[in-house]
Amino acid sequence: MAEYIVKESALKDFFKSLTEGRKLLAPVEVDGKLQMAEADPENISINYTNTHMSPKSAFFPQTERLMAFHNDAEKSDPFVYKPLGLDNVDQTVLFGIRPCDARGLVVDNLVFQNNRFTDPYWKTKYESSIKIGLACHNPCPQCFCTSVGGSPFGEEGLDVLAVVKDGGLALKSVTAEGEEFLKGLKGTESGDTSATMDELKKAAEAKMPAAIDQTQVEAREIMDIYNQPHWQETADRCLNCGVCTFVCPTCHCFDIQDETSAKGGVRMRNWDTCMSWLYSMHGTGHNPRPTKTERVRQRFMHKLKYIPMKQNGNCGCIGCGRCVTMCPVNIDIREVARQMNQ
Amino acid sequence: MMSLEDLIKKIQEAAKRALKEGKAEVVLGYQAGTTPMAVAPLFARTEGDCDKLVWSNFAKTNLSTYLPELKDKKVAIIAKGCDARSAVGQVVEHQIPRENVYVIGVPCTGMVDLEALKSKEARPVAASDEDMATIKLRGDGWETNIAKEEILRRNCKTCICRTPKMADEVIGDEVPSMTPDDYADLKELAAKSPEEKMAYFKGMVKDCLRCYACRNACPLCYCPVCFVDETRPQWLGKSQDEMDTFVFHLLRGFHCAGRCTGCGACEAACPVGIKVREFNRIMEEEVQKDWNYIPGLDWEQKPPLTTYRPDDEADFIR
Repeated sequence: MAEYIVKESALKDFFKSLTEGRKLLAPVEVDGKLQMAEADPENISINYTNTHMSPKSAFFPQTERLMAFHNDAEKSDPFVYKPLGLDNVDQTVLFGIRPCDARGLVVDNLVFQNNRFTDPYWKTKYESSIKIGLACHNPCPQCFCTSVGGSPFGEEGLDVLAVVKDGGLALKSVTAEGEEFLKGLKGTESGDTSATMDELKKAAEAKMPAAIDQTQVEAREIMDIYNQPHWQETADRCLNCGVCTFVCPTCHCFDIQDETSAKGGVRMRNWDTCMSWLYSMHGTGHNPRPTKTERVRQRFMHKLKYIPMKQNGNCGCIGCGRCVTMCPVNIDIREVARQMNQ
Repeated sequence: MMSLEDLIKKIQEAAKRALKEGKAEVVLGYQAGTTPMAVAPLFARTEGDCDKLVWSNFAKTNLSTYLPELKDKKVAIIAKGCDARSAVGQVVEHQIPRENVYVIGVPCTGMVDLEALKSKEARPVAASDEDMATIKLRGDGWETNIAKEEILRRNCKTCICRTPKMADEVIGDEVPSMTPDDYADLKELAAKSPEEKMAYFKGMVKDCLRCYACRNACPLCYCPVCFVDETRPQWLGKSQDEMDTFVFHLLRGFHCAGRCTGCGACEAACPVGIKVREFNRIMEEEVQKDWNYIPGLDWEQKPPLTTYRPDDEADFIR
């Protein structure tokens, strides 16, 4: 493990050196909203709650062109789909991922790269990136990472963890890639950061609200939770829009679409949402989730019951609170979790 | 003016009365939210549920949105002027039977625009409190008060129906309406070239996630299958292609022509802050100009785009 300090006066040099040979994604203001986006090293913020959208789109964009064909018989391979975007993938560095969101990437990783399937589109981007986290000192009223197994100073999913200290940064490598990456950077000086980090971590965790008890959800049979009466109340007011799923760092469902023109065609994948009736509509006309109740229940069951069952108890929600903040009708996953646990 | 506490008491009483007298089997209202600056819609079915009903300056959901799916039930709705206007629109368009909806009108002095609030107070808010005119915010070691007047939603600033007089009953003190929208800014837009207009509209919707929260929050978007969800044939691409996104917003604007009451629920639901109502405002002005028609004010009114007159002055329609 390597440890470094970046003094406030050296921050710009440090950020500039992140861009050497890599594309830098970091929290920057885009049209009045903080987003994880391609960043000018001069304008990077280190004081923020979290980015508006999650960083999942760096590896899983809302619309991704997977392959394309042309229909020009004069050229080679007409009408043959050829993969797009798998060669010459940008080497990137993501700076400022919050630990909750980094755990979100780990959940997504289990979907896109597991022992049965590997998604080359996710994998090439994921493996070409260095992920630098920025620990959280002040939780916002909607977030709850410690309730779902995380920490405001969590390291899971990261190559390097950074902490704001005295206006600058304290850095510590988490993976071998992170350790190697830190070696080549400017603006850093070696320093022992462990003691500082432990102290700040304790203070930050103490600020987090009490954990949500999930022991009953874990112990109960699926059908017992499935048939609880509270789902109706939640479904009553759910609008079945897709806001919660789109802003969620761990929602990973997609829809594949072919779009053709006179000259050829593109196969693309787009984020999809289980809140939509169309998502579960079968070609036969049968819909196994025919009403709002089934659809809204699915999302919470997936996050809080099905994923933990498949992933050794690890929750599918990482507690960033985006869905809580942005749901137009104030459906709060913490409240639903409590009802499921009752 | 009646205090917020008194108004809440009146709302709870009216809801209980509606259930008891058989006017409704469910009352749509608001309950306290789980986070600062939020309330949640509540479907009150028992007297106990009615005790949870509140009123708030953050009641951004238009509760009429839920009426079409409940059309076979007797429903009472705690309605701001704009919610009541939408219920009228749904009755006029034969989406809900008049006898199944009982409107409990609440005079409204406007709702808070959360984006405007954020521009005045950017720090993370840990707790909020409110009375009729003031929003009180508290964070980590700070407190501040903001006058509601300064952070009203744009549609509330030009509301012509702050007191829903067409309601079945009105509780609370009557509030005078605002000066109607003069659409002055739309004249500037109309003067632009087609290219400039296209650039303006594309810029407006460029952050759209196609989550359709605007559509689902809209009391007039009650189509069983929205044109964007049609699959045989599929009318619209599903990607973030800017033209597909633009076509969704544009067509939704046209679909709401002569029907939109400017309640602002679409904008309040949008997670990325798109001024969705701008599309509707353009059509709103057109319909007022051409047919002198304002939707949602009269249970008996006939929507201009669904009526036909043999003596219509336009040649093409005769």
